Amino acid sequence: MADRLLKFSSSPHVKSPKTTRQIMIHVCIALMPAVIMGIVLFGGMAALILSLSLVSAVASEFVYLLICKKSFRQIAREFDFTSCVTGLLVGMSIGVNYPWYAPIFGSVFAIIVVKMIFGGTGKNLVNPAVTGRIFIFMSFQAMVGAWVIPNINSITGGQINSGATILGGLLDAKNPTFPTLSNWDLLLGTGLAGCIGETCKLALILGGIYLAVLGIINIGYPVIYVAVTGLFTVALNGFNFGYFLPAILSGGLMLGAIFMATDYTTTPNTTLGNIIYFVMLGLITAGLRQATHMEVVSFAILFMNLFVPLIDKFVLPNPFGYKKIKKAKGAK
Amino acid sequence: MSIKKGKKFPYGIHVKDMKDLCRDKPIEQVPASDLVYISMSLHIGAPSVPIVNVGDKVKKGQLIAKENGPVSANVYSSVNGEVVSIEDINNGLGLRQKYVIIKNDKTDGELLFDQMTEFSPSALVERIRLAGIVGLGGAGFPTAVKLTPKNPLEFLIINGAECEPYLNCDFRLMIERTDDIYKGIKYTAKALGINKIVIGIEANKPEAIKAFEKYDDIDVVILKKQYPMGSEKHLIYCTTGRKVPTGKMPFDVGCCVHNVKTMIACYEAIELNKPFTEVYMTVSGKGVNNQKNIKTLIGTPYQDILDFCGGLNGLAVKFVAGGPMMGKALLNLNHYTRKTASGLLALTAEETNATQPSNCINCAVCAKNCPMRLMPMYIESYALSGNFEMAEKYGAMNCIECGSCAFNCPAKRSLVQSISFAKAKIKEMKQNGR
Repeated sequence: MADRLLKFSSSPHVKSPKTTRQIMIHVCIALMPAVIMGIVLFGGMAALILSLSLVSAVASEFVYLLICKKSFRQIAREFDFTSCVTGLLVGMSIGVNYPWYAPIFGSVFAIIVVKMIFGGTGKNLVNPAVTGRIFIFMSFQAMVGAWVIPNINSITGGQINSGATILGGLLDAKNPTFPTLSNWDLLLGTGLAGCIGETCKLALILGGIYLAVLGIINIGYPVIYVAVTGLFTVALNGFNFGYFLPAILSGGLMLGAIFMATDYTTTPNTTLGNIIYFVMLGLITAGLRQATHMEVVSFAILFMNLFVPLIDKFVLPNPFGYKKIKKAKGAK
Repeated sequence: MSIKKGKKFPYGIHVKDMKDLCRDKPIEQVPASDLVYISMSLHIGAPSVPIVNVGDKVKKGQLIAKENGPVSANVYSSVNGEVVSIEDINNGLGLRQKYVIIKNDKTDGELLFDQMTEFSPSALVERIRLAGIVGLGGAGFPTAVKLTPKNPLEFLIINGAECEPYLNCDFRLMIERTDDIYKGIKYTAKALGINKIVIGIEANKPEAIKAFEKYDDIDVVILKKQYPMGSEKHLIYCTTGRKVPTGKMPFDVGCCVHNVKTMIACYEAIELNKPFTEVYMTVSGKGVNNQKNIKTLIGTPYQDILDFCGGLNGLAVKFVAGGPMMGKALLNLNHYTRKTASGLLALTAEETNATQPSNCINCAVCAKNCPMRLMPMYIESYALSGNFEMAEKYGAMNCIECGSCAFNCPAKRSLVQSISFAKAKIKEMKQNGR
C-alpha cells in the first residue's frame, strides 16, 4: 500500500465543478426561448433551418477532428458544445426564406474556417457565429430579398414587409417612415419581419437573464452595448427620444448584444477593457446604422473582435500593491 | 481590546470550506511510532546538518541536527531511542532528502532546556532560534529570522484566518489553548518590541473570536470568509489597511505576521522549555474513516497517522499534505510528518473534481479571481511557450500560488503549475544573469 503510486498533481487539489461544457450547455438552454419563439413565429421551415445549421455545425467539427486523426471516442469525450451554440446562432440569424443549404454553408464556414483552422475552441480570432451569419448574408441576401413576415399578426394590426429592418425606414433622413408597429410588437416579435431568432426580443432577454443569474455573462456588458446604441441613435437624430426604444428593440441588436458580443473568446479580459469594447460596439452600431440604414450588429461585432487583442495589450490591471511602489518612487 | 470587522480585499474566491468534517473534534495525541523519520529539510533555507551518528542513543528533545547558516533551523529528536540510519530517502513529495531514522524504544523522559532567567528580547529570540521553531503557516521560514527585523515594526499580526478548506487545527488550538497562544503572542511581541497586536480570525470561527475577546491588549479583527484570507499580504491589508508593495516583505510596511501554531511553539519553548518536536494537524477528506484533529511527533509516518484515524475507506484517490488549495499532493504514502505539517487529506474523486485540461476559452475567470490581480492566462501561455521574459512582465513573480485561478477555471487548466514553473525559470535566469 505504502509504495503504491497515487494521483499526483500541482495544487489546487479541489476544483469547482464548472466546466467549459457546462457553460456551453447553459448557453444552449438560454437560447431555447428564442428558438422556440422562432419556430412559433415562422413555422416548420424555421425548425428545419435551425436543425440543419445545428447538425452541420456539430458534424463539421467532428469531421475536422477525424481528419486530424483523433479517435471518435476522444472527440466525443472532449466535445464541449461550443459548436452547438455556434450552429444555433447561425440558424437563428437568418430568415426562413433562405434556401435550405444556406445554413449548412454558414455553419460549416463558421466551424471549419473561423474556429477549427485557428486551433479550435478558444483560439478563434473572431466570433464564428457572427462570421457565419455575415458569410450567409453576403452570399445569399441578393437571392432572397425581403425578410419574411411571421405567422402571427401584430397586436396593433400593422405590418412591415419591406426593407431589412424597421430601423431602415426610421433612419432614412429624407423621408422617415414611422412604423405601424408598436414597441410591444418589437419586443414580442409579432408582425415583425426578420430573422428566426432575432424577432422576439423578450425571449432573448429571458435567456440573457438566465445566463446572468448563473454568472456566465456579466449582464452589465450587454446593457452597456444596448444603452449606448440607443442613446447614440437618439443623439444622432437630434435628441429625439422616440428613437430610443425602436433602436434598441429592432434588428439583431439583442441577439448580438446578449449572445454574440459576450462570447468569452472574443472579448477583452479586464473590466475596463470590456467597458471600452462594449461602448465602442454601441457607437459603431449606431453610427453605421445611421449611415447605411442596414442591420450592422454583426459587422460591428466582427470589427470590434479584431480590436480585442489590442485592447488586451494595453488595458491591464495593476497587481495588488503595485500603486504604492509608484508613490514611493515619486516621494523619493 | 477591540473587535472590529476586517476589510475585504478585491477579487479572491469562495470555496466550500468542508470544515464540518472535524470541526467539533478535540485534538487527540497520536501514539509514537516505532520508527520516526526526521528530515533535515523541514524548513525553507539550508538543510540542517546531522550531529548524531548511526548507533547513537538519543533522548526526546536532544539536538540531532544543527542549523546551517542564518536561514536554517535546529532539529530535535522527537522520541527516545537509537539512531538506526542516516540516509537519503525519496519522500512522498517526490524529493530526495536526507533523513535521520530513529528507532523508538518507548521509554519515558525527555530533555528540556534550562529555565529562562531573564526575558529580554534578545534572550527570547535566542530561545526561539535554539528551539528550531519555523513559521507554521506553511512556508516554514525560521521564526527567529522574522523576529529580528531590520527596521522597527508597528504591528504584530497573528494569523488565525485558516482560510484553507478542510483544515481545523488552528481553530481547535484557538479554542482549546487560548491562554497558551496568548502567552506565546505576548513573548513574541516582547521579542519584537511591539505593543500593537492584532489577531485576524475568519468569521466562520465565532467560538475562536469569542475566546480572544477577553484579552485587553489584543485587537480581534473579524475577517470576511474569503479565500485566500490567510495570505500574508492580504491579511495585512484586511487588518491594517496597508498594502505590501510588489516585491517587498511585510516588514517594509511595519508588520510581522505569525501563525497561531507558531505562537504555541514559542510558548512551549519559552515557558515549558520544550524543543520543537510536536505538530498539530487535521486529518480529513472523505477518503478517511474518522476525520480527526491530531497532535503528532515530527517524523511520524503518514501511514501510522491514517491507521490512527481509522484507516482508509478505499474511496481516496489523492492524498494531500497540507490544505487542498496550496498543499502538496503525495506521490506515495512514504511520507513523514514535517514541522510545517498542517493537514493530511484523503480526497475522493468526487471532491477533487480532476478532469483533463482543455483549451483556454479566454473567459478571464482566472483574472477576475486573482487576489494579486494578475493575468494568469497570459502568464500560463507564455510559460508554456517558453517566453519567460514576457511571463515576468505580466507579473509571474507576484503570484502567491493560492490556486484561486485554477480552482474556478472552466477549462481546468493547471495554471498554478505553469506559473510556478515560470517562477522557477525566472529565478534561474536571474541567477545565471548575475
